[in-house]
Amino acid sequence: MIKPSVEKNVRISNLIDIRKLTNSAFVLRFEKHDLSFTAGQHIALGIPDIIDTREYSIYSAENDEAMEVLIKEVEEGFMSPKFGKLVVGQKVKVMKPVGYFTINKDYLQSKRFVFIASGTGIAPFHSIIKSYPDINYSILHGIRTSEEAYERNEYTAGKYIACTSRDKNGDFHGRVTDYLQQNSIDTQAIYYLCGNYEMIDEAYGILEKAGVKPENLKAEVYF
Amino acid sequence: MSKKIAFKTLGCRLNQYETDSLVSQFIENGYQIVEFDEKADAYIVNTCTVTNQGDKRSRYAFNNVIKRNIDAKLIVTGCMATQYKDKLEDEKAINFVVDNNHKANIFDLLDSYFKGESFALNEDERSVFSFLPAKDTFHTRSMIKVQDGCDNFCTYCIVPKVRGRAISRPINDIILNINQVLDFGFKEIVLTGVNITRYDYNGLSFHDLIEKIVEIPRDFRLRISSVEPEGFTPKLFELLQHTKVAPHLHLCLQSGSDKILLQMRRFYTLAQFKGIVQKIREKRPDFNFTTDIIVGFPSESDKDFEETLQAIEEIGFSHIHTFKYSKRNHTRAARMPEQTDEKLKTSRSEQVRVLGELKKRNYRASFIGKTQSVLVEKFQKKVASGYGENYIPIKFTANEVAENEFYNVRIIGIESGEDPNLLAELI
Repeated sequence: MIKPSVEKNVRISNLIDIRKLTNSAFVLRFEKHDLSFTAGQHIALGIPDIIDTREYSIYSAENDEAMEVLIKEVEEGFMSPKFGKLVVGQKVKVMKPVGYFTINKDYLQSKRFVFIASGTGIAPFHSIIKSYPDINYSILHGIRTSEEAYERNEYTAGKYIACTSRDKNGDFHGRVTDYLQQNSIDTQAIYYLCGNYEMIDEAYGILEKAGVKPENLKAEVYF
Repeated sequence: MSKKIAFKTLGCRLNQYETDSLVSQFIENGYQIVEFDEKADAYIVNTCTVTNQGDKRSRYAFNNVIKRNIDAKLIVTGCMATQYKDKLEDEKAINFVVDNNHKANIFDLLDSYFKGESFALNEDERSVFSFLPAKDTFHTRSMIKVQDGCDNFCTYCIVPKVRGRAISRPINDIILNINQVLDFGFKEIVLTGVNITRYDYNGLSFHDLIEKIVEIPRDFRLRISSVEPEGFTPKLFELLQHTKVAPHLHLCLQSGSDKILLQMRRFYTLAQFKGIVQKIREKRPDFNFTTDIIVGFPSESDKDFEETLQAIEEIGFSHIHTFKYSKRNHTRAARMPEQTDEKLKTSRSEQVRVLGELKKRNYRASFIGKTQSVLVEKFQKKVASGYGENYIPIKFTANEVAENEFYNVRIIGIESGEDPNLLAELI
C-alpha cells in the first residue's frame, strides 16, 4: 500500500506511445497530468501493484503535452524488462519530478553549455535542448556503437558528437574522456555531466585540470 | 491526579525538536512528564530508521515497554513508524502508530483518548509545521524547525521516503516562532530540518532566511547546526561571519573519496567541500566543523577509505558521527554490488573514531588561552557548565552563576578522557 504522505506525489498515467530506438533502448511516452517540471529533473517510475520504482531523467521538453523517459533494458534488471514489456494503454506510476540538475536560466543568453553524457545519460540534455531551443550548446555522447546515438537528428547539426568506443561509425572513435583529452577545452563554458560515475569522475578530473572552475561543473550520476 | 507521560527519542535533532514541542504541550495541559524507565500512563517512542542501529534501538525502546507489561498506552511515532506503519499496526501491544505527517497531533490524540473522546487523524492534512513552540524542553537551546523532507535522494538514504518531499516553512512563521521562544527566555536558537540549505519559500533561499533571523532586534545566538555542503552563496558566507551566528556548522562530508561521493549521489566533490571550509576559516580560523561519515559504503576500497581518513586529518573536524553503512530497502545503494563486509565496516568505523577523538582533543585544546561566551546550562556545587559559541563544552567555577545566561570566560585547561570539557575562569 502506498503511504498517504507519498500518494500525493504519485500519478497513474496511461502509456501513450513506445518508441523502440535499439534492441534494448526505448522511449516511454505517457500522460503528464498536472506534473510540471524543470528540464533536467527526474522522476521515479513504476508499475501499479509493484512496490519498486526506478529513477529516470525526463527526456521530453517542459512544454510537451506528454512526458517521456529513455530506458535501456538491463537483461538481469528487475524493473527495466518489465517496462520493456508494457504496451500502449497500460498504466505506469509516476512520482512527482525532483532534482537540481537544471539550467540557471540567467546564463541562457550569455554562456555556452557543454553537455557530456554516457549512454542514456543523454536524456536530461535532450529535455534541456528541447525546452530551450536557443541555448548555445554542444553535446558529447559516449556510446559503444553508433546505433546508440539515440535520435541524434533531434540535435542541431554539428553540435552533437557521438564518441563511439566499439566502432568507428561515430564522429569520434574513443570514449568521451579521450575526446576531452585530445581536443581543446573551453574553460569559460558551463559543463553538465550525466552518466556512469566512472565517466563523470574521470571527466571531472580532466576538466578541472584544464582550468574549468568547480562551480561550472554539474553532475548527475546514473547507475 | 495528573496523567504521566514518558518519552523516548531516537535519532536526529528534528525528532528531538518534535519531542520537545510535544513535551511542552503535555506540560501546559496539566500532564506530568516522567523518565522513560518510570511508571507512566503513556509511553511515546519517537523512532529513527536511518540505519539498522536506529531500527534496533527504536524497537528495543518500545519492546522494553511491552516487556514491562505495564497497563499503559504505547505510541510509536517517527521515521520507523512511517516506514513500517502497516507492520507495526499489526502488533497488538502498540496502541497507536503515528507517522511523521501526524506526529504533531499526538497530544490531541492521547488527550482525547484519556478523556474518552474520539479524535481522528486527518489523512489529508500535512502537519509537519504545526508543532507548537516548546516552552518546557529538555534543553537550554531552543530548536526551530524551518524545513522538512528532502529531494536529494542520496543513494543510501531512506529519509526522502519517510520524511517526504522537501517543504519549507513560511519565513513569517519562523520569525514569529523565534520571537515566541525568545519571549519564553531562550537565548540560543538552533535551526532544524532535514536539509535546511535547500530552504526555498516563495523564492526566498536559505541565506534570505538567515538574514531575516539575524535582523531580529533582540539579543540571542543563532546556531545553524546541521547542513549539507550545497547552497553556499556569497551572501551565506558573509552571514556566517555575523556576530549573532555561532561559528559552528555540522557539515556532512560522508566520504573523502570523490568516487564514493558520486556513487552516494552527493552534490559536491571533496575539493568543493574543502573550498567551503577554507573560505569560512579564512575569516574565522577557529570556526568549528563537525561532520557525518559513512564507512563501508558499497565498493568502498582501502584507497577510498584512506582518502576519508586523509580528509578528516586535513579538515580537522572537532567531532564526527560515524555510521557504518546500513542497507536500506528501496534505496539505490541497496541494489549495488560489492556490499562491504561487516567486520571491515567495524574496523573502519573504529579507525575513524580513534582519529576523530584525536582531532577533537586537538581542536578543543587550541582554545586554551582564548575566550568564549558560555551559555550556562547547569550550575551545581559552584561548577557551571555549558557550551561556548564554537559549540565546545566548557566548565568553570564561580560563586554565583545563573543558568541560561551568557558568561565570558578564558579557557585555561582541558580535561582528560574521550569527550573532554574545556576548563575556564570567569573574566
